[in-house]
Amino acid sequence: MLDPFEQQEMTDRVRRQLSTIIDPEIGRGIVEMGLIYLIEINAEGDVSIIMTTTTKGCPAAGFLTDAVRSSAASVPGVGNVEVTLTYEPMWHPEMMQS
Amino acid sequence: MPGATLSRWTMSYFAAALSCLVAGLILTASGFGYPSTAIEDPESLAVIHLIAIGWLGLLFAGSLLQFVPVLVSRPLETPCLSLPVLLLMMVGLGLLLTGFLGLADILPLWSWTLPLGGSVLTLAFAGLLWMVTKTLAAARPLPLPAKFVALGCAALVGVAVSGLLLALPLSGVTANRYLVGFLLEAAPSHAYLGLVGWMTVTAIGVSYRLLAMFLLSPERSRMTSRAVGWLMAAGLGIVVGGILLAGSGISSTATIYLATAIGGVAALIYGLDVHFIFRERKRKSAEMNVLASLAAVAMLIASFVLFEASALSDLPIDLARPAAYLFVFGWLTGLGLGQLYKIVAFMTWLECYGPVLGRAPVPRVQELVNERRSSAWFLLYFGATVAATVALIAAAPTVFRWMTLAQLAAICALVFEFAQARRLAIVPQEIRLPDGVRHPQLFLPSFKGSSQ
Repeated sequence: MLDPFEQQEMTDRVRRQLSTIIDPEIGRGIVEMGLIYLIEINAEGDVSIIMTTTTKGCPAAGFLTDAVRSSAASVPGVGNVEVTLTYEPMWHPEMMQS
Repeated sequence: MPGATLSRWTMSYFAAALSCLVAGLILTASGFGYPSTAIEDPESLAVIHLIAIGWLGLLFAGSLLQFVPVLVSRPLETPCLSLPVLLLMMVGLGLLLTGFLGLADILPLWSWTLPLGGSVLTLAFAGLLWMVTKTLAAARPLPLPAKFVALGCAALVGVAVSGLLLALPLSGVTANRYLVGFLLEAAPSHAYLGLVGWMTVTAIGVSYRLLAMFLLSPERSRMTSRAVGWLMAAGLGIVVGGILLAGSGISSTATIYLATAIGGVAALIYGLDVHFIFRERKRKSAEMNVLASLAAVAMLIASFVLFEASALSDLPIDLARPAAYLFVFGWLTGLGLGQLYKIVAFMTWLECYGPVLGRAPVPRVQELVNERRSSAWFLLYFGATVAATVALIAAAPTVFRWMTLAQLAAICALVFEFAQARRLAIVPQEIRLPDGVRHPQLFLPSFKGSSQ
């Protein structure tokens, strides 16, 4: 069982791990681009991630969600990983970190 | 999961299309067909259809299979038709060209080849339309770019049917009075339906999505974009009206001029839209595919200006045919090559590096191409295209042939660059082949995985 502090710490580790995944077209990390909307970790270490892609129907969407799933699962201590792809809200360029 | 997949046969469509483009330019540079012979001569018709169906038709068909799913966020319906459609298009084109070369006394004249070629092509386009319209129908209500594709599909029906009707009297299998009248009057409308109605309308629609996507520009449904769609639809309606009357011997010249004027206004507004998309971009550095698209849009507007000048002026020079040349090679071909530069690299990246993303260091899409070298080829291509158009206006056939040779050289160099991208030749050695990544086939599918 993880306490809230450990959950927060693990969330940061998952976020850091996901930041190594690049958007192939833009060449910037998907975290930096604002494509990861939410990372939630429960007391059992199960991770729930809500993400998007720069455009709806992006042919790379399947690969990106697979990459996020396997990358998050590679963080020590992480249990099950659930990745949800959403387009609500739609991503827009202002979501990128400058 | 909402989304699109990798179209299995699109790269094969592109390879066949580029082969036809190279063949067409070799013929033109060697003095075969227009402008060495009249544009309505069978030699010219062979080259025109090699470029229009072989190059542009296959390019657009292959692109639609990949990008319609992107536009509507749904997988392609009945993707198993992709290969039969490709084969039927190639066989139909072969028959059509055999028919034209027969009429030119270069091959034995078999009168059945033209109508049979037209029928096979109609069957191929029916298969393409089945895949595209079924995918669109399942995704209603359609976003604006997809509505343009739907309008383009309607024009494709028109161009296929009119082409078939033209083939019947041209081959001599019928002397039906209506069809003979149709043959004498409907060819410009047939060309308008294909080059403007199907290809330009489709290209405009897809570019609204792709330009915004590649430039990280907000996707807005602008009133101007809707106006472009309505104007294009009006122009096509007028051409269809003209084509129906053509068989009765009523000249379609007036309808073509009117439709061209409306199309010109639509092209100008489209140019404004492209300007807005470019101005609002978040990605400051525009890559080669975007720059090539901008050059192509400029040539689209220039070709409409030339068309209008030919209609309104009494100058003793031919501007309509040079305008058509600029339209086909500056706008459609320039745009096509620019998009191929990006699409080939992007699809290759998806095929090779998509499955290992997040598990191993991978290159960016941009690292699959050599931008500096390619920009020189694009510069040569667009420069030679403008010069070839000027040579046509100036009635300087020798200069024109040299310029088509320069276009051919630029295209061959770009084909080499596309092949380099497919072979991962430009990717830095240390990240070229992570574990689990294999070199892709040059233009055939890998026959592995779940792509369509």
